[in-house]
Amino acid sequence: MKPLYTLLFFILCSCSIVTLAQTGKIRGTLRFNEGTPVAAAVVYIEALDRHTVSDLDGLYELDDIPYGSYAVEVRSIEAEKSVTEVTVDKPLVTFTPQLKESSYQLGEVIVKGTTEKRIIETKGFAVNVIETEQEGLKNIQTNDLLNRSVGVTVRQDGGLGSAVSYNLNGMSGNSVRIFVDDIPISAYGSSFSLNSIPPSLIERIEVYKGVIPSHLTDDALGGAINVVLKKEMRNSLTASLSYGSFNTFQANINGRYRHDKSGFTLTLSGFHNYSDNDYEVWGKFVRNILPNGRYEYVRARRFNDAYRSTGSRIEMGFTDVVWADQFFVGYNGSDDYNEIQHGTYMSIPYMGRFSESQSHAFNLIYRKRDLFLPGLDLQLSGVYGNRSQVVNDTVRWNYNWYGEKSMGLYGDPILRPNGAQQGAPTISHTHRDIFTLRSGVAYTIIPRHKVLINHSYYTIDRREFDEMRSEAEQAFVGRRDLQKHVATLSYEMTTLGDRLRSNLFVKFYRQMIDRMDPVLTLDNGEQIRTEERVNSTRKAAGYGLALSYALLPELLLLTSAEKAVRMPSENELFGSIGENIVENPHINPEVSNNLNIGFKAGDYYMGAQRFSFSATGFLRDTRDKIVRQINPRLNDAIQTSPFENLGKTQSLGIEAEANYAYDDKLSLLFNLSRFNTLFNMKEDAAGNRLDYYRKQMPNEPWFTFNSTAQYTLFNLLQKRSQLHIHYSFRFVESFQTTWLDIEDFRVPRQYIQDAGFSYLFPGKKFVVSFDVRNLFDRQVYDNFAVQKPGRAFYLKLNYTINHINI
Amino acid sequence: MNTKLIRTTLFTAIAAFLFTGCENETLTDNRETTPDTERWITVAGALMGENPGDGNGGTMVYAVSYEDARDPNASINVFDDGFSVKSNRTARLQSSEDGNTLFNIAYTGENGGEFSRYSVNGGNHFVQEDVTVSIAQYAGTSPRWAKLFDGDRTGIAVNVANITANNAGSGSAEPFRYYRGIATVLALDLQEVVISGYRQYEIPLSEEEELLGHTLFRLDAPVLNKAGDKVIIGTWMQKRNPLTGETESDFARLGTKSVVVDYPSLENPQVITSTVSDGDCSGYRSFNSFLADDGNIYQATQRGSNGSWILRINSNNQYDNTYRFSLDEALGITHSYIESWRYAGNGIAYVMYSHDDSANATFNSEERQSFLARVDLTAGTAHQVELPYEPDLYFFQYQGFLVNGDEVYVAVTPVGRDGHIYILNSRTGAVTKGARLINKAGNHYIGIY
Repeated sequence: MKPLYTLLFFILCSCSIVTLAQTGKIRGTLRFNEGTPVAAAVVYIEALDRHTVSDLDGLYELDDIPYGSYAVEVRSIEAEKSVTEVTVDKPLVTFTPQLKESSYQLGEVIVKGTTEKRIIETKGFAVNVIETEQEGLKNIQTNDLLNRSVGVTVRQDGGLGSAVSYNLNGMSGNSVRIFVDDIPISAYGSSFSLNSIPPSLIERIEVYKGVIPSHLTDDALGGAINVVLKKEMRNSLTASLSYGSFNTFQANINGRYRHDKSGFTLTLSGFHNYSDNDYEVWGKFVRNILPNGRYEYVRARRFNDAYRSTGSRIEMGFTDVVWADQFFVGYNGSDDYNEIQHGTYMSIPYMGRFSESQSHAFNLIYRKRDLFLPGLDLQLSGVYGNRSQVVNDTVRWNYNWYGEKSMGLYGDPILRPNGAQQGAPTISHTHRDIFTLRSGVAYTIIPRHKVLINHSYYTIDRREFDEMRSEAEQAFVGRRDLQKHVATLSYEMTTLGDRLRSNLFVKFYRQMIDRMDPVLTLDNGEQIRTEERVNSTRKAAGYGLALSYALLPELLLLTSAEKAVRMPSENELFGSIGENIVENPHINPEVSNNLNIGFKAGDYYMGAQRFSFSATGFLRDTRDKIVRQINPRLNDAIQTSPFENLGKTQSLGIEAEANYAYDDKLSLLFNLSRFNTLFNMKEDAAGNRLDYYRKQMPNEPWFTFNSTAQYTLFNLLQKRSQLHIHYSFRFVESFQTTWLDIEDFRVPRQYIQDAGFSYLFPGKKFVVSFDVRNLFDRQVYDNFAVQKPGRAFYLKLNYTINHINI
Repeated sequence: MNTKLIRTTLFTAIAAFLFTGCENETLTDNRETTPDTERWITVAGALMGENPGDGNGGTMVYAVSYEDARDPNASINVFDDGFSVKSNRTARLQSSEDGNTLFNIAYTGENGGEFSRYSVNGGNHFVQEDVTVSIAQYAGTSPRWAKLFDGDRTGIAVNVANITANNAGSGSAEPFRYYRGIATVLALDLQEVVISGYRQYEIPLSEEEELLGHTLFRLDAPVLNKAGDKVIIGTWMQKRNPLTGETESDFARLGTKSVVVDYPSLENPQVITSTVSDGDCSGYRSFNSFLADDGNIYQATQRGSNGSWILRINSNNQYDNTYRFSLDEALGITHSYIESWRYAGNGIAYVMYSHDDSANATFNSEERQSFLARVDLTAGTAHQVELPYEPDLYFFQYQGFLVNGDEVYVAVTPVGRDGHIYILNSRTGAVTKGARLINKAGNHYIGIY
């Protein structure tokens, strides 16, 4: 496979020089004569029926414009209409008209921009697109943004940097995959995660639920979160600094430079996050155990929970040149340090358990439209990642919530029951080399009919050892190499006068795993080490469909369905001695039949008011779920058991969202998600109906509600300044965490409120934001017996320079 | 009905007396011990977690009167009517001798290792007492414990942690000598609800045994000797390959070992070894060793090479290797496995077991059928108790036998099917069917207290 890619790439490079591009871009900045940018203006080419809307800085871009001359019209409430002739004869044409301020207010102008968000959301998939342009200025984490989004539940074990899991419409764990710019995030390592990437470096986040478009080529069974990093179009530099409660400090910087003549482009970004996470915890799970075993309930600060992450990304290459729309080589490096305060429950605090990880990733991106023929687009991207992680847990004593050694009856410190804080003492090193290569070809056969072929190749090579074991044992460890190919073929069609959009796709999965385990064999009475090698290959296929039908211009019906597949992981197949899992080479892929049916209505206008609604009903019918076999009879001294295909679950639910806006002053958003994840095994082997059949599985937050409100005051303190005041509210219904519905084992009902404001100074370069999280200092739990931070204050300064002339 | 029952029982009792009465010298006084007819009888059931029969969904209890427990026309439905004991997985229950208090140590979860007392008030009226005590810091969140038969005064919890090689750690040039863990032995005052003492130490085996990689993997099922000055603790042995660190599944086993510690100081651990059996003697989730009327301790073994044995530890706290009781031989079966058992008095015990010819269970093909036998420790004989056996009768997780006078109460329910309480008269061997136990698919009853 690898030689093929290399060959393809060379052919590309050599051919592209002689191939002429057929389309180009028009880009520019709309400004008034005196230089102030014109935001929210419509740039329109009537001949092509193409339009776009300028952003806050007056910047706009129209791409995919066939060579030729066009009348480009600019309209805005603030400016007088202008029409100019523009000739597109090269990949990038700059058109920067100067506009006159209008002396009158227009009666009614409805501006309908087709944003990237709108394009993605109307393809038929059940998808949320979270735009971060506004949010990036606030004191908010990427995980918080996801959590507020409809149908997404983020469950985190504490403050900044703590372990996190995602639930998309009832599907969680291994069935939810995360991508960065369409590449699986595992290529970058845990130090570059949704915990560490700040919203200000993100362009948008796409959350696909149940049905995954074919360009995210992976065996994502339940959903995918795709983080699209910022790709600034202009020369700019933005930086922000934030400081707040729990000694939380966050900084980030993002810059871009393009040399117009040569197309040379350089982007740079970096982040640094630090928090002590020493927030207070209290209540029935927070207790010190006295020497005689009795409880003393306390209110204490977390003491072993600090988090630090640092990362940078540099990309250089060429954009909008004859031979490439984008060609970049880049490096992404990150590093983190994370203290771990407790295990699954906070009732026993840990001291000195922490993890450290580093990653170095090198990437290459190539994108070109109309490569050999008009309508033939190609993209290639490859990432090589080198990741390492150390988990360190060697402290032998029990600690109480004051961070002191817990004393026994006779005044001596008590040893931990398993030797260290969480388990046996460990300094466990894991190194991974990951290589992933993605390619995609799209061909528009005739307008409105497009075929796409995507392929991804992923290989991981893992080595591990534990410093706390003896030298002989350390040398005696196996290796696991995994390779995965996912190929997809899809057909996109727009018919019925552009009212029906359909996307039909098939996906092929192929996975190969090599296992090497050392074994001792007797040779002439002497034990010698030999290597036992086994490999396993398995294939699977899935298919699906996404449809959107415009019943009325403002009313879209959306349906999507997929037979989704998740291949077994290396541990599930080959077992892991450390985790007492034995191999099961006969395990089958997990399969889920996923269905979404919904609608999107809006925007509707009533004077200055704007409404929109959407709702989706969903079904996730999972079969052959891979679960750990439970076998109590097995000898516990070698307590091992395999994974097997046994489980069956079904999630059934709805989600809905409503938006309201008044002028550009007020905006309100409400969403709710309610589902049942049902135990779906009907009978035991003897044919008796199981009591849990079609009952809610424990430990699933099944009903959540979010609302956010934002109000903008213009020219309050200074002319041309803006003050945004925002408030958000989240409700999570109480849920049981075990099959036994005991009050003590329920996570209580929760109401969480945040508020804040952002002040945008005139000139739009400088923004100050102040936020209060968990306004009423409530006890918040994502997971049973794990309290999240109480009330916290944060201040953030953002600075943007948009017109750099070097 | 009732008079007929009494008549049958009486007849069997007299017959048994006539036939066996004169033989037993040390163990049996053979006087009838009357049951307490006023006490509550608590029935416990385990809910399934993800898989039928796994018992991982938690534990529910329900208390009935003496009469109701014995009435075959009465029904008990612990899963619909019962009280949920606060434990994530199967609770480790024990009861006071008078049946008025239930003791529980929660197993895993947020409150794992928490000891609590429930007063029994009939039906599902169990009231948890205010005071709880956690042994999690000493013995972990999934502790193993047993109540000593000392008038409900003491519980002993045990743990082995952090088994490592003497030369563990990068760069150690030291040669391998042993794998050892840190053992914890802890005493719990069941009346005051406090930890009353604890000790932590390494317990070495012999040099040769340790060089081969043998180690004490687990301690369980402590029992107090007759003199009341030693606690004898069962062990689960493990062998690791010193060259690889891997746990071996197929190895030459050592003789059964127990750890003897001084009581009440819990100090001075000594390892004693049997030459009769090579099985482990840790039991599973319940008692595994009992002090009998003759002053000896009888201990069951599991996973040995020749099936399960019952071993004797004499009043000198040493294995009596002249006493040989093989369940295989006594019952004419192979690879017997004692899943749970209980000494009932007068040298008689009831043993739950499976063996090579046990049918595969239908609820989970990895599991197999269990049986119940009445064992005479003095005569060295065993007889299968007449019960409605079926492949899904599964005693592996069974915890609670109630000994009430001569009567032994057991809950007999196949996984997922209804069953009954059976009242076994240990003196006569009589079997009486008691109340019906209503079950649910995947669940099973695990004890009577």
